[in-house]
Amino acid sequence: MSQARRLTGPKKYLAVVLAIAFIALIWQAAAWSLPSFLMPGIPTVIDRLIEAVQQEEFRAGLLGSMSRLGSGYGFALLFGIGFGLVGGVLFFFRETLRSAIVILQSIPSIAWVPLFLIVMGFGNLPIIVVVALAAFFPMALSVMNATESVQPVHVSAARVMGASRWQLLRRVYLPAVMPELITGAQLAFGNAWRALISAEMLIGFGQGLGRSLAYSGEIADMVGVMMNILVIAILATLIDQVVLEKFKQRVLRYQYV
Amino acid sequence: MQLSFENVDKRFGELEVIKGFSREVGQGELVALVGPSGCGKSTLLHLVAGLEKPSGGRVLADGRPVAGPGPRRTLVFQEHALYPWLTLQANVAMALELQGTDKATAFREATNWLGRVNLAGFEHYYPHQVSGGMRQRTALARAFIAKPEVLLLDEPFGALDALTRMALQDVLRDLIEEHQPTVLLVTHDVDEALYLADHVLVFSSRPARVLKAFDFAHCEKSHDLSGFAAERKEILSLLGIKTEVEHA
Repeated sequence: MSQARRLTGPKKYLAVVLAIAFIALIWQAAAWSLPSFLMPGIPTVIDRLIEAVQQEEFRAGLLGSMSRLGSGYGFALLFGIGFGLVGGVLFFFRETLRSAIVILQSIPSIAWVPLFLIVMGFGNLPIIVVVALAAFFPMALSVMNATESVQPVHVSAARVMGASRWQLLRRVYLPAVMPELITGAQLAFGNAWRALISAEMLIGFGQGLGRSLAYSGEIADMVGVMMNILVIAILATLIDQVVLEKFKQRVLRYQYV
Repeated sequence: MQLSFENVDKRFGELEVIKGFSREVGQGELVALVGPSGCGKSTLLHLVAGLEKPSGGRVLADGRPVAGPGPRRTLVFQEHALYPWLTLQANVAMALELQGTDKATAFREATNWLGRVNLAGFEHYYPHQVSGGMRQRTALARAFIAKPEVLLLDEPFGALDALTRMALQDVLRDLIEEHQPTVLLVTHDVDEALYLADHVLVFSSRPARVLKAFDFAHCEKSHDLSGFAAERKEILSLLGIKTEVEHA
């Protein structure tokens, strides 16, 4: 084997721990140098978090945020993968869709909120749609671009073995684009998460994370603000680095053996 | 299965690749196509496989025009045609699964076939974990498992070293003897053509035209091809390779 290209094992964990320590240090340094009503320290915020987790209301809000994220992100994955794959085999459709995405993607998803709020009413739906929109574009785009680099010999081989169009999509295109699909899904998750928090802050429906953060700000409860930010950071990191990474290593097992 | 080419033309836009090719290939015959790179030999195979349509003339399989790809006519590619995300076993099984065989049966059959090409024990390896020769053995298993009536080989061993290539030629010869498909073999290796084929067609450069056809049907052959030295020399000189020592 030639030189190792990535860190593995304990060294990798050490790097992660160092990064967390670095962030915590900056936070705590800010807390020491600013008055506590402006920037609370880490222990105070952790205490508040432990308190909050025991409250029914906080847990319900968290669950609400997660279900909005799940619906929006789920829709985006489903349609993004579907459109991306179909674009892979229908060339004209691909160019049309790509142009449409390039135009629509330039609009920050949060800019749709006023429109959706009035069309769909005050509730879960406009938030879910904004989340779905934010995640759909990177998802569809990465799958569609990946279909272009599927090796022609892989397609020909399946056709010679008698594959139907549907079998080609499922047995050749889908596994062939899987690495890019997962990268796209991670990118899409980042977009979905940002859209969720901002839409919740803006719309203020229910007791979600974004709403709770905005409310703490309105009443100048800095401990609440920092606690919500902490929860946002922890949840996103867990979903991205643990759930999606594990999924990636499972699906792309063949690359790791 | 019998193949007939009736005055076949193939153009890609302005580029004329094949012009007026006619030939009958009888059931169970093995015809080797040799010629310069890019002369359209592979295109002939793609026409038979149904991956391409002729621009003029007809390609018939058992008297009926080839309409599209089908499992009775299968193609073995030079390399990289195995799916990197599937194990060797799953790669071979896929040929059956695409025809509706259930997964358990397909995988069981695939294990048998891997055994036939001396890959028992490598079922759960991925293509990138094994050698080029083992990958092409797998490709042969994947081709034969579907019991094709026409086998199209597109420089199947072109990327292998000489010794591995000879070993695989023997594997291929045994499989062909046992299953008697009609075979078209595109190769750059004149010795491979001499060793395996009943007929060798030597092609000109583009647009492909047959310069000469050699008949070796019913010849006993081994890897020692010294008995075919004259033909070997003639084929090489048709391909523009010098076969005499020049004296100043």
